[in-house]
Amino acid sequence: MKGFLTRVTAITVKEAAHILRDPRVMIFALVLPVLLLLLFGYAISFDVDHIPLVVVDQDQTNASRNLVESFTSGDLFEIKARRSTVDQVEPLFRSGLARAALVIPEEFTRRLAGGREPSVQLLLDGSDNNTATVALGYAGVVALEVSRRQMPTSLSREGAPISAQIRTFFNPGLRSSAFIVPGLTAVILTMIATMLTALTVSREIEQGSMEQLFTTPVSRLEIVVGKVCPYFLLGLVAVLLVLTAGVAMFSVPVAGSLWLLFGVSALFLLAMFIQGLFISVATRRQALASQLAFITTMLPALLLSGFVFPIDNMPWPLQFLARALPPSYFIHAIRAVLLRGNGVEAILRDSLAILLFFGVFLLLTVRRFRRALN
Amino acid sequence: MNRPAISVDGLTRRFGRFVAVDGVSFEVSKGEIFGYLGANGAGKSTTIRMLCGLLRPSAGRAVVNGHDVVKHTWEVKRSIGYMSQKFSLYLDLTVQENLQFFAGAYGLRGQLLSQRLEHALELALLTDRRNVLTGALPGGIRQRLALASALLHQPPIVFLDEPTAGVSPDARRAFWRTIRQLAHEGTTLFVTTHTLDEAEHCHRVGLMAEGRLVALDTPAELKRRHVPGALFTLHPAGGRSKELLAKLRQLEGVLEAQPFGHRLHLRIAAERDEAWLASLLEQVGFGEVGFDRTEPTLEDVFLQVAKEGAAATEGR
Ligand SMILES: Nc1ncnc2c1ncn2[C@@H]1O[C@H](COP(=O)(O)OP(=O)(O)O)[C@@H](O)[C@H]1O
Ligand SMILES: [Mg+2]
Repeated sequence: MKGFLTRVTAITVKEAAHILRDPRVMIFALVLPVLLLLLFGYAISFDVDHIPLVVVDQDQTNASRNLVESFTSGDLFEIKARRSTVDQVEPLFRSGLARAALVIPEEFTRRLAGGREPSVQLLLDGSDNNTATVALGYAGVVALEVSRRQMPTSLSREGAPISAQIRTFFNPGLRSSAFIVPGLTAVILTMIATMLTALTVSREIEQGSMEQLFTTPVSRLEIVVGKVCPYFLLGLVAVLLVLTAGVAMFSVPVAGSLWLLFGVSALFLLAMFIQGLFISVATRRQALASQLAFITTMLPALLLSGFVFPIDNMPWPLQFLARALPPSYFIHAIRAVLLRGNGVEAILRDSLAILLFFGVFLLLTVRRFRRALN
Repeated sequence: MNRPAISVDGLTRRFGRFVAVDGVSFEVSKGEIFGYLGANGAGKSTTIRMLCGLLRPSAGRAVVNGHDVVKHTWEVKRSIGYMSQKFSLYLDLTVQENLQFFAGAYGLRGQLLSQRLEHALELALLTDRRNVLTGALPGGIRQRLALASALLHQPPIVFLDEPTAGVSPDARRAFWRTIRQLAHEGTTLFVTTHTLDEAEHCHRVGLMAEGRLVALDTPAELKRRHVPGALFTLHPAGGRSKELLAKLRQLEGVLEAQPFGHRLHLRIAAERDEAWLASLLEQVGFGEVGFDRTEPTLEDVFLQVAKEGAAATEGR
């Protein structure tokens, strides 16, 4: 046991010296994550605003101008053009100048005055699904508000005036950053963890130092443990940075315990490190290892984690894959703690799943090591 | 107890259909400097890697320090030091960090570790340069450091795979002084080389050719057996050496005559001497040609063995 500790410590210290001496590693582990968070956080915003709008006001009355006013008073729509006929809308959609068109027909005021239901058309560019959905929802709210204001009599018949209310649970402002930050945290941690460790063993095999190491009484388990330790510490610092940056810059509500968040992130890191080591041991070549690490970690973390696409809506083979890989559990857990304020009980299943993955890959890595040199 | 340090029996390694090491057998006794000589690709490194437990033999058996390399790889690893052909310390670590790491890997700690560390630094002549990055050291010094690192745990058996490749002649001499000193202290050394003059330092030399061990003995005995007779270098006057060569080759008692630049190398039966050669030259009309007696080198042995090997292959 003492020998085990001596040897593991020796490897850890050596590996730490490599890390400290290589500024690329430090940048990769500490600067890149925060940079990525900033970049992605602002770029892939799921929040929809300033939708370019073209107005086709064929009525040209005070009432119609009021309606346009109500539509554009918020941040959601921004008037980019005015046209006189509906035919002129499609070219604008095609060129991307507009994503929505508000069409107010000639008889709008007359119908309103006559007590008949006035109809207004909202044309949406369906190619941007997300925008369309949000715009549609918003339009409904605006229309309701307008009708309430303009037709008090007709509505009062039904009782109290209706005020449209949308309330989203757990994410009050429906701010997408609250979803993006946990997801991005997973993606970033996955990437740095696997990339860092994917290189460490393949590099030693390529350089020949692994062979030297294999003539010493160091066991494969000792190598794996010794190598993971310093990267784990580095990874924990990265976790802290990413979480802090995410919470501070995107004002993500922190409903649950930060310790719990940190704990589950640490567990997830371990799983990703061992996956990286496995790739390193299996490929034995740096170039191949880094490519494989990228493909087998980034894609699942982005696409099979529930970050962007809900897992329940996937075809079953993808669901199966998603549930076999840690990112889905991590994202579930981090959302539970961060947004819902859940305690340990809620993320126990997720933690066990990640732990299981870690154990299986630890075994696979140590076993695979045997053949790594021959 | 007089058990050999290394004992190898029918050791074979195939890579696919290619046989890199082919049924090699030998023993190395304790405190011996065993030279393993052969051209590039002869199978030297492959043999060493099997003896260190890095590569599984395809057939045959190897016992190192009393432990079977396949069944008791673990015990073997505790008994050996290994310096691979390719420099494999970490270039981005300092001298001391490298030594500290390998000492830890061998399980050394505490006072023993610092003691061995200082000793290794002395051996590598790097005591005052311990904080220099290893990558900044010249080749010869790196090799000394690699040797010192392989000796940290004071193993009874050390494998050195072409330890002096790319090292200056001075550094090479110093290196061999260290090797002899180690052997003197009782360490067994298994050293591969493809430079023939280095093999002269070894107690015994095994000659590898295409995976086979084609000769094995002390340098002196190898010379006596494969290059018997007396060797002379002749200095004929310009222009006439071809004629002389042709004449000599027809004479009784001349075992071999070879041109060597402007000179001729002549080997005659052992019972003949200088007087006999002088009268012989007189006889063929070359009385004015001067000559020196020379000692055979392992190079002569090597050429001779290669020739015998080629003849044997043709005969088959
Ligand atoms: N891992 C391997 N796979 C395939 N061939 C190999 C391998 N290692 C060595 N060889 C081949 O075995 C032969 C002997 O190699 P080696 O033992 O390194 O020679 P030496 O050390 O005497 O120069 C060479 O032809 C080499 O190409
Ligand atoms: Mg070699």
